[in-house]
Amino acid sequence: MTTNELLWVTSRATGVVSLVLLTAVLTLGVALSGSRSGSASARATVTAVHRWLGLGIGTFVVAHVVTVIVETWVDIGWLSLVLPFTSGYERLWVGLGTLVLDVLVDVVVTSALRHRIPERAWRLVHLTGYALWPVAVIHGIALGTSTTPLLRWASIGCALLGGAAIAWRLLVPHHDARQRATAAAGVWS
Amino acid sequence: MSVARTLPLADLLDEAGLTGRGGGAFPTGAKLRAARSSHAELVVNACDGEPGSLKDAWVVREHLAELVHGAGLLADGAPVRFAAHRGSATLAGLRAAGLPTLEVPPRYVSSQESALVSLAAGGLARPMTARVPIVFGGRDGSGRAVTPTLVVNAETTWRVAQVSQRGPAWFRSHGTPDEPGPRLVTLTGHVPRPGVLDTAAGIALADLLAAGGLERDHDRPVIAGGLAGGLLTPGETQRARWSTAGLSPFGACIGAGTIEALDPRTCPLEQVAARVHGAAGESAGSAVRACSACRRWPATSTRCSRAPARASSRRCTTGWAAARPRGVPLPRRGRGARPLGAAGLRQSSGSARRRRVSVVSAQPGAHVVHLAVDRVACTGHGVCAALLDGWVLDPEGYPVVLDDRASPAAAATVERMCPARAIYPRAPRSR
Repeated sequence: MTTNELLWVTSRATGVVSLVLLTAVLTLGVALSGSRSGSASARATVTAVHRWLGLGIGTFVVAHVVTVIVETWVDIGWLSLVLPFTSGYERLWVGLGTLVLDVLVDVVVTSALRHRIPERAWRLVHLTGYALWPVAVIHGIALGTSTTPLLRWASIGCALLGGAAIAWRLLVPHHDARQRATAAAGVWS
Repeated sequence: MSVARTLPLADLLDEAGLTGRGGGAFPTGAKLRAARSSHAELVVNACDGEPGSLKDAWVVREHLAELVHGAGLLADGAPVRFAAHRGSATLAGLRAAGLPTLEVPPRYVSSQESALVSLAAGGLARPMTARVPIVFGGRDGSGRAVTPTLVVNAETTWRVAQVSQRGPAWFRSHGTPDEPGPRLVTLTGHVPRPGVLDTAAGIALADLLAAGGLERDHDRPVIAGGLAGGLLTPGETQRARWSTAGLSPFGACIGAGTIEALDPRTCPLEQVAARVHGAAGESAGSAVRACSACRRWPATSTRCSRAPARASSRRCTTGWAAARPRGVPLPRRGRGARPLGAAGLRQSSGSARRRRVSVVSAQPGAHVVHLAVDRVACTGHGVCAALLDGWVLDPEGYPVVLDDRASPAAAATVERMCPARAIYPRAPRSR
């Protein structure tokens, strides 16, 4: 296996792992925000896994991006690292990946600095995670081409799991939604 | 001639020993000094927020000129507003006098200090969690700047004018050494002559009730101190003195100065429950959590939960008294408003050994951080209870703080781990 081959294969592998991790982080986050069931220690564990896994994605994303730029089979330049829709290879689908990377950096950085920035700013940026994830899935399905169907099926599996999590979150009201509605319906000013 | 010319007002108030008459009993001099340092605006709270209280209305009706004078002394040129409930005679009276008013919706929590500050800034009249005292401003739970505001109860403001005009010695000639000065009491409920009396701490509760027309052999249970207070049997009202020391053996307190006689024909605990339900209904949602931060409720509710079992029958009017050795302090938490035994507390799972973070005991010299919950921001994830000993969850999943001490490392971990970012360190309780 040549170095170039190795880079290409690594890029594929880290790409799919990134998507799987991202989906896991999304699902855990959705579960945290939408549910109050389970023991306190289970919830603490889920919180911790959501956070550290979210940070850990970075390693795989960096490997995924750097290897695909360095290898020479496809034309993706360093500019595509930050500027979407600038690659020669699959301009649209790679551009979506760049978008995901940009937003992901925002989400991770604001979360790391959460204790230093206003809560509302953090929340606003964090909610863009809901937009980031589907774009990542489309990027994964579109570019997850290979002789083995594993890559594409992994992407489709992620789509199903994450989609189910988001649908659940939209359908299930907040645990004290009724109380909030009652309170909000009162005269407060 | 005004005594205030010789001493700064805050020192004068310290010397007099004036404390907040709205129920908080915080030293007014210290609060004023803080207000001066942060250039705080002034809001005079004439809402009579405690259910049944009429004393702020009385001050506005009977002593408006002195009230305005006191407000001027406290404000010292800063903007002043007088807060009163919408539709109240107090609001009309303040308006008729041409004073700048703050129209407050007539809800239980809306006249709370931080709710008034939120309303004054154009927000909703709902409590914010003041992570620093509201007199310093700081930021609310969502990071918005809070206008530094000195919120002073109307009676307190009136007393400031009195201290300034008559001097601290006159002030201290009333009341007890611990609780000096004249203070207003509202007699309400099932008394022949309800109303407001200008009295002082230390007076026999029976004398106060007699002034309201209840003879010595009356049969009325009495709530002293409103929702923060406690319930006394008719017999106990004969023995108690109206002061913190005199009422605490019965689980009651002076609070905002209300004394409510209950209907002797129905179970007093049902009447108490009705009041708690009423306050909860007016609050609901996140707002009530802000007022439910009563550190002692797990203990008090154990007592409460025993008593109603014997007194649930409508015929029973004395059983509740025999069932409990001491007064029944009202559980000061609105939501749910059902008696909760200690067994009702859901213990966080896992033994103390398995927990990663534990409270350090307060050894001499050990560095200890006191943690608090932003009750508005808290969304009931329960992570704090999993990490800290001394923190448990109530049946609805919100934390009850039994011990607020933590090591600095534990405090930092919990602050960061809270998904709602609702845990924060605060200055230890000084009193």
